[in-house]
Parts: sequence; structure tokens; C-alpha cells
Amino acid sequence: MIRWTGRIKFLFLLPAVLWVLSFTVFPLGYSLYLSLHEVERKVVITGREKVPVLKSDGTPVLKADGTPRTRTKVIRELQTSFTWNNFANYLRAFRDEEVREAVRVTVIFTVAAVGIEILLGLGLAWLFNRGLYARGFLRSVMILPIFATPVAVGYLFFTIFYELGGPLSWTGIPWLSDPDWALVSIILVDLWQWTPFCFLVFLAALQGIPDEMIETAQLDTNSQWEIWRYVILPILKPVIVIVLLLRFAEAVKLFDIIATLTKGGPGIATQSYSYLAFNRGFKMNDFGYASALAFLLLVAVMVIVTLFFRRLRTSYE
Amino acid sequence: MIRRSRLSDAFWSLVALLVAMVFFFPLYWAISNSLRRPVETFTVTGLGMPFVDFTPTLDNWRLQLGTPEAYNALANSTVISFSAVAIALLLGVPAAYALARFRFFTVPNRDLTIWFLSQRVLPPVATAVPFFILFSSFDLLDTRLALTLVSATFVLPFVVVICRQTFYDLPVELEEAALVDGAGHVKAFLWVALPLAAPAIAAAALIMFAFAWNEYLFAVILTIKNAATLPVHIAGGVDTRGVQFWFVAVRSLIAMVPPVLLALIAQRYIVRGLTLGAVKG
Repeated sequence: MIRWTGRIKFLFLLPAVLWVLSFTVFPLGYSLYLSLHEVERKVVITGREKVPVLKSDGTPVLKADGTPRTRTKVIRELQTSFTWNNFANYLRAFRDEEVREAVRVTVIFTVAAVGIEILLGLGLAWLFNRGLYARGFLRSVMILPIFATPVAVGYLFFTIFYELGGPLSWTGIPWLSDPDWALVSIILVDLWQWTPFCFLVFLAALQGIPDEMIETAQLDTNSQWEIWRYVILPILKPVIVIVLLLRFAEAVKLFDIIATLTKGGPGIATQSYSYLAFNRGFKMNDFGYASALAFLLLVAVMVIVTLFFRRLRTSYE
Repeated sequence: MIRRSRLSDAFWSLVALLVAMVFFFPLYWAISNSLRRPVETFTVTGLGMPFVDFTPTLDNWRLQLGTPEAYNALANSTVISFSAVAIALLLGVPAAYALARFRFFTVPNRDLTIWFLSQRVLPPVATAVPFFILFSSFDLLDTRLALTLVSATFVLPFVVVICRQTFYDLPVELEEAALVDGAGHVKAFLWVALPLAAPAIAAAALIMFAFAWNEYLFAVILTIKNAATLPVHIAGGVDTRGVQFWFVAVRSLIAMVPPVLLALIAQRYIVRGLTLGAVKG
């Protein structure tokens, strides 16, 4: 009997665990620390010194009396200071109007995009599960959007939603200039990119259902709908839950498309939560506040995932 | 299967074709835009078919590919994504093997897997600020090294979870036979399990490469110019002279083509890769 135990197993596992501890867990801890402090980064002049003026070939420039000409060099240093501020970052986040708006945008986006993607994905999987001409080719075409660089996708759709002469301008819809339509546009872009993912996964799951199972069901009923409702959907359910989880986790991170398609505008109408946190951190250098915002998002996501997706664990047994 | 009439097959094939065309249209539009002269951006009528509605030109491609920045970004994206995937495989594949074969007691295997998996759910903004501050204090901002380390971290959980499933699906008897013959666990892993899992691992690596290539949030924070990747390059150069549709189209396509091609190559494994091994394609 072979024993799959022994010290050697740690040799396999530990490098990856150590990597994650130092590059994920440690930064998270640091982020928590930052979120509880007022972080100030400033360039401070720490001293001055005399340095010789050099010619382009490296030799010093000499004064008339033969001594080298000098200039004063200012020594600058980037200093970062942390001041404990009694949870001020968190309290501020709860009062911030912009945060509230960003939460609204992110929730609407996530619910609408993920919901529609799953329904459309199911519909398309149903369509592609029958005998089609050139099915393999069409399936390959559908794969293309999934791996398209999101930043590039944002720009691509900027040219498509362009209201003065773009290919969709005949509709007369203010795709990007109206606050509500801009959010719809963002959702449409996400649908374009991620419906194919849902479709592919559901198609794979559908093709995994043995034909006999459907044929047996067809003895009992002629209604396609009933077969779906009572046979196919229950089989697909665990797969739908997984897709739901993966899409949810991805959708709440919404950032790339916003960064190139609308930049959060018009106004802050399409400013997602991640985009807001990013702006606070890296545009306004408010690192403590940005960390607090990021941490709140992390907690919210973790709570939702553990509440709604406890079942997921069983699929990784 | 119940046989359906050819007519209904043809009808649904047509519907599927239309759907595929809708999904292909944005890419087609970028190709069309990239081949037009700037003045033709909004004047071309119809569906903007090259040769039919306008005479295509490669000038935009030539101008864009001729800039040193484009080459630099292309080189950075390639080197960073490649090294990140290499690191992630080096660390992740053995860990995946350990999770699939050995039993851990203090923390059960399932919880370890979930722990790796949970990083998938982690919003990147949460680690972005600490990474920026840490790398700036080590003077590593705008270096390939910084982004490589972060990208490797970003793809590592995928590698672990996907490869764990791959090893799990292999028959354990082959390795046990090797162990009976006197090979150690390391040898059984290297000479028996790894070659069998190689095709799936290679496919996973292609998909990870595409992920690392497309990553933008960390790239825009940690790089400025020297180490700027393609996503940073295309997102950056546009504001200066307004949105120039023709260049945007070229740049977007340059960025998109490699990951999309890789995805097509790894097609058979996409479902498994994207669902982290939970659904077999």
C-alpha cells in the first residue's frame, strides 16, 4: 500500500503558500494598516551639498583661479508618514455621497449584467446544442470577445457608441452623453464580452448530459419547456451557480472598461466602486482612504460569497 | 437524438450565424477603421467593407508599429506575461499536485484549495495601494520586475486550482506503480504525472498568459513608461490629441490579437480553465 503522506508533501506545497503569504496576505495586512491611518507622502528637502560642475566629458569646470566651479545640490527624499486617525477613513466612507453613488452604479451593473448574461448564455447554449451547420466555426467566433483586452474593448466601443457618425448613431440614442444610457452602454459592453463565456460553459454542460436522459423524458412529455424545466435546468444548476459566482466576482471589480470608455462620466454616472477607490488612491493620493474603500469592498464581497455560495465548496471536493 | 428536418436546421443555423455576426461586429469595425484614411472615419457609408465602401490602406498600421513606444510596450507585455506565467507554473504545479494527491491534516485539502480559490474573488484594488507604496520604497516602480511579481501572484491561484483538477483526474495507479518500483514522490511527479498532465497544463498556461497580458489595473499603477505594457500604452497615448479612431483601432487590435489567438489555440480547455476546473469542457 502506498502512503500519500510524509514530509515530502510540504516540499510541493510550501513554496506556493509562502508566495501567497508574502504577495497577497502581507499586502492585505498592510492595506488594513493603511486604512486605519492618515497616510501622507511628501517630498522633503533633507539637505544641501556642494558638487562640482562637470563638462559633458566628465571633467570639472574650473574657475579663473583654478579651483573647480561648484553648484548647490538639493537633496530630496520621499517621506511617508502614518498617523492613526480613529477610523476616520471608514467613517468618511459611510458619509461620502460619491461612495453611495458608486455603490449604486456597481450594484445595478452587477445585477443587470450578470443576470442578463446568464439568461442569454442559456438561450445561446440551447441554440447551439442542436444540429447546426458550421457549428464549430460559429462557436470559435463566439470565443473571440472573452479574451479581448478589456482596455482595448473600452476604446473599441467608444468608436462604436460615438454619437456623431458612429455605427450606432442612427438610433439617436445618447449612448455615452446621457447618465442613464452611459450605464446601459457599459452593461452592453460587458454583455458582449462575457455572454460568450456563460454560453460556452453552459454548452459544455449541456453536451455532457447523456442523450438517453432526454429521450427518456421525451417519453413522458412533448413539451420542450417541461424538459428544460424539470430535467435540464436541475442538472445545470450547479454549473449555473459556479458561473454566477465567477461572474459576480469579476463584475464587482469593474474597472478597465470604465477607464477607457467613459472615465466614470458623464459626471460620476458610471463611476464604479473600484474606479472610485482607484481615483482616491492614485489620482488624489489619498492612500488611507483608498485602502479603507478597498477593504470595505473586500468585506462586502466575502460576506456575499460565503452567504450565497456556500454550496460551491462541494464542487471542489 | 431525434432527427429534425433540414429546414429547421437551416433556420436555426441562420439565427446562430446572425448572433455570431453581432458578436463579431465590434472586432470587424475595428479592422475596418484601422484600414481607413483618417478623413474617411465618418464618411464611409454602408457596412464599411474594405474594397467595397472604401479603398483600404495600411498607413495607420505602419505609423503605429513604427513608434518605439509600441515596440517597447509589446516587448514589455511579452516578457512580463511570460515570466509571470513561468513563475506561477513553477510554484503552482507542484502545489496543485500536492493538493490532488497528498492528504493534509492541520488544514484539510479542501480548505487549502478554497484558500487559493478565494484570491480569485479578491478585488485587486485592495492590494494595489500596498503594492504601490512597497514597490516605490524599494525603488522598483516602472520596472518589469515589479509587474512580473504582481502578475505571477495574480495568475498563481488559477494555476493551482486548474492543475489540481487535472492531476485529480489522472489515474493514481500509474504513480503508485512507479512508487512500488522504488521511485520517490518527486520522481513519480516529474516522470509520471507531469508528462501526462502536460497538455492540460500547457493549455492552462496559454490562458494564464492571456490573463496576464490583459491585466490593466496593476500595470497602470506600477508602470509609467519604461515598463509600460500594451494595455497601458493604448490607454495612455490617446488623450493628447483627442481620440484618433484610426490609431485607436490599430492599437486595440495589436493588444487583442495575441490573447485572442492563444484562446483559439487552447479552445478545448477554455471552459475548464475559466471555470477553474469545475466544469469540464
